[in-house]
Amino acid sequence: MLHLRPGINSWLRVGAWAAILLTAVAATLSGRTAPHRSSERRPAQVTFNRDIAPIVFHSCSSCHRPGEAAPFSLLNYSDVRKHARQIVDVTQSRAMPPWLPEPQELKFADELRLSDTEINLIKSWVEQGEVEGDPSVLPVQPKFVDGWRLGEPDLVLTANKPLTLPPSGTDTYWNFIFPVPIQETRWVKAVEIRPGDKRYVHHANILVDREGSSRQHETEPGAGFGGMEIRIESRVFDPDSHLLFWKPGTVPYVEPEGMAMRLDKGTDLILNTHLQPSGKPEVIQPSIGLYFTPHPATKLPMLLQLENDAKLDIPAGQRDFLVTDDFALPSDVELLAIYPHAHYLGKDIQAFATLPDGTKKTLLHIPQWNLNWQAVYRYEQPMRLPKGTKVSLRYVYDNSEGNPLNPNHPPARVKGGNRSSDEMCHLWLQVLPVNFDPAQGDPRMVLQQALAQHNVEKNPRDFEAHYNLAAMLQAKDKIEDAIHEYEAAVRLRPEDAAGNNALGAALVEAEHPAQAVGYLQTALKARPDYFEAHYNLGFALAGQDDFAGAVEQFRFALKLQPDDANVEANLGAALAQMGQLPEAKSHFEHALQIDPNQPIAKENLVELLREMNSH
Amino acid sequence: MPAAVLLIGSAFAVAQQTATDLDGHAVNPLATDSGKIVVLVFLRRDCPVSSRYAPVIQRISRQYADRATFWLVYPDKSDSPQAIRKYLEDYGYRLPALRDPEHMLVKIARVQITPEVAVFDRGHQLVYDGRIDDWYVDLARAKPAATTRELDDAIRAALAGKAVAKSEVRGVGCYISDLE
Repeated sequence: MLHLRPGINSWLRVGAWAAILLTAVAATLSGRTAPHRSSERRPAQVTFNRDIAPIVFHSCSSCHRPGEAAPFSLLNYSDVRKHARQIVDVTQSRAMPPWLPEPQELKFADELRLSDTEINLIKSWVEQGEVEGDPSVLPVQPKFVDGWRLGEPDLVLTANKPLTLPPSGTDTYWNFIFPVPIQETRWVKAVEIRPGDKRYVHHANILVDREGSSRQHETEPGAGFGGMEIRIESRVFDPDSHLLFWKPGTVPYVEPEGMAMRLDKGTDLILNTHLQPSGKPEVIQPSIGLYFTPHPATKLPMLLQLENDAKLDIPAGQRDFLVTDDFALPSDVELLAIYPHAHYLGKDIQAFATLPDGTKKTLLHIPQWNLNWQAVYRYEQPMRLPKGTKVSLRYVYDNSEGNPLNPNHPPARVKGGNRSSDEMCHLWLQVLPVNFDPAQGDPRMVLQQALAQHNVEKNPRDFEAHYNLAAMLQAKDKIEDAIHEYEAAVRLRPEDAAGNNALGAALVEAEHPAQAVGYLQTALKARPDYFEAHYNLGFALAGQDDFAGAVEQFRFALKLQPDDANVEANLGAALAQMGQLPEAKSHFEHALQIDPNQPIAKENLVELLREMNSH
Repeated sequence: MPAAVLLIGSAFAVAQQTATDLDGHAVNPLATDSGKIVVLVFLRRDCPVSSRYAPVIQRISRQYADRATFWLVYPDKSDSPQAIRKYLEDYGYRLPALRDPEHMLVKIARVQITPEVAVFDRGHQLVYDGRIDDWYVDLARAKPAATTRELDDAIRAALAGKAVAKSEVRGVGCYISDLE
């Protein structure tokens, strides 16, 4: 009477992604005046009060004020005057305000880009001697919201342990884990990231870890862990669909109706931060504010990742190393946002779409990439990309001495990898599947399977691609094909815990328990406290009638996750098989205490009681 | 024809143009006869590039402590002695600081940017003014690590009594002239 639950697999996601949006300035300004944009009637005498203040208030002050990311305030004439020539320099070079993309047909929301007219006005003002002008035309200074921008959050999470950033050294990449203390599923309409002292945090991303898989990287609970790029595992296909991103100037983004993010009991939020030493020690203790909505998600966007890290093998000194990826969409989507990612050698970053009729649309063009100002860009209007549209990335890398950000001096060969001195070629597209038949299941799986297939063909040595393709096939009950792909993944990384566990689990599901045992043992050798692998090994052993072995594995699993109703129920079932009925009974009962509807425990307890009574 | 006018500086004006220590006493860092070379480091509290250099400046000043006298110079007249003291404590500086509200030292040192440095030889002749190194490319981009060491090179040359190879290399940071 042992009922097998299908094996547990992991869904792997790689990359520090992020998310949302940057709503730079506009949303927080109240009573602001539209920036001066008249190019024809350029006044002979440029004055601060009439011409410069509107530009500064609109495009600078939201960061250049006390408590925000910028190092000094730009809130009035004397503030601006104290940095006047510097402002001319950084606006002429377009280093400020920080906005990397070129203007394009497809508009971004909250574009933080000055017009040529505005830039020239600033220059003329300084050349003419920084005249203050008539106080009666000075616009009202913008009013900003202090504290949480969207009001008091419904739930505030604060990092367990602050990080002390040393006064000097290279940039630091640190991950804070925030367990979410909720007892039932909640829907999140907005997330506000407060990264600690904003002056030293360059950017921060939230990744959703539904399985606690990142905790294995911590030396002790709550300690956090280093690293620029991280890998999240999850048992089921539950792709991230939101870009939760912070950079200086970001205003929290409220998701549109129907696009709330699900948070379950046991979910961790991982805050991936890029920190820059300031010259003195800094204590960084981020917090996250969550705003809930009672309305569950009805629209399910997903993040499509184009990438080609395998092609990154850049010879020392090469100035223009091109990497491409082209993916044909298997179904209709709306493009909502875009997030490019490369490291210090990235130079020219382009993404475009070729529609089925041959029209080419630029999705993003950054002619001078700067990792320090990476951002998520959200489109003003969703862009419809029909089935058959080819989405392309073209990234050019500069590994010459002429690239001042080159981490190697003299230049050295650089390959793809997770360290900041390695290189990356990623592009995330937030898309919303449209025009699909709900009867055909989750439309995101169609996209994900096509992408995994594309990645396997592009790079047969891509572990994650084989793994994720296998997971998609398994979800469609194509178990033998899935096993084939998991085998390919394990051949590439014979010691990988997640890969071996997934292959073992698939073999259990395909009723080849004897073959599964070895893979699951390998998984446990790599990661002795791997809950899923103990659980799956319990099944594999039970499938060969080794109930004593199964009991041992289920007990291990229970030690790792004491209140898991499924493990309790299956432990009870294995004990019952061994004739240890009273103990089996107590485990069934415990399972039902945790989850009164646990089907295995329910069914087996009835049968067990009947059997115990008949004796 | 305009008449030629001869301007004579008053004693009062000269007094005002003196740099002062944080207790308000007039100090001329070039008037001491210690036999050491003198390095002036120009900083602004509101300039993040200045601040990020704190560990570099301290390392170099420690390295040459017995042969070079370092002074931190604050040319922003709105930087109060109290605010500067706090800054020194925050950044762990163990160097004497001067206020230079009238930019007397700025002019002597011929610096334009914070952070820039001026190196004077034992005879108190200016031998180098400009950047510390090439860490910053522009205000938006810093290299992972500097690849030149102009300040270090200038100090070595001055100590050896040799000419400095590059006597002037402009820095990246915040304009001192914006403070006028």
